[in-house]
Amino acid sequence: MTGPVQVLVVGFDRPTFSGEVLAEFTRLREAGIVRLVDLLVLSRAEDGAFETLALPEGVEADFGDLAASFLGQPEESADAEVEVPDGDSASTWSLADAIPVGSTAAVALIEHMWAAPLSAAIQRTGGTLLDETWLAREDRELLEALIAKR
Amino acid sequence: MLLVPRQLQRVGMTGNVPYYGGRFSPAQAYAASHPTAPPPSFADPMTGGAFVRGAVPTTGQSARPDSPAPSPADVEAALQHLLSTGVISQVEFQELRARVIR
Repeated sequence: MTGPVQVLVVGFDRPTFSGEVLAEFTRLREAGIVRLVDLLVLSRAEDGAFETLALPEGVEADFGDLAASFLGQPEESADAEVEVPDGDSASTWSLADAIPVGSTAAVALIEHMWAAPLSAAIQRTGGTLLDETWLAREDRELLEALIAKR
Repeated sequence: MLLVPRQLQRVGMTGNVPYYGGRFSPAQAYAASHPTAPPPSFADPMTGGAFVRGAVPTTGQSARPDSPAPSPADVEAALQHLLSTGVISQVEFQELRARVIR
């Protein structure tokens, strides 16, 4: 594992997997850009309980177990108190923060191999991360318009 | 398989926790939008709330203007609980019941 790992949580009203997303991950992996570390599909009941769901066809057979072990723990083995890492509670999260009750979501662990050298370079400069976000579509259009004017 | 979510650290691409520039972090924003219930300010035998003296209302002002008045059925149930648990006597129960349920 060399690059930063992103957790991508995508909600679905009715999960349908055409294979298009997996095909894109395969292309990105072959290009050395992004690696899909693992994929998990979950449902959250109205009482807040999480249950893992079967992965769609086309996904590697051993997918899901790693993400399930990493992002949670089986209910029967869960301690009374869930372990909380050291640090400010504002800097922690769990699937319970991300997935609303009564919904279904796919959770992907994605290693950004392209970002490893960049992240290392930023750290070597002594820079401090102040913010990190993505531009909205409207802001991207504004940016593209400004680029076009140059 | 049922799963209990694990708490994980939230960091950015460089591995550092982002400074949110004085804005709410995602967790703080969530907490602000999901306020917890205020502590009880009066004795509630159903929930075990503690007795706390509230502000003295001025003339024409309710002691708890922001809270809806409890229904007679709720008051009677609370008094019945106090009676059955031995907090008040039968005489006190009748007196209090007559005072609040007219």
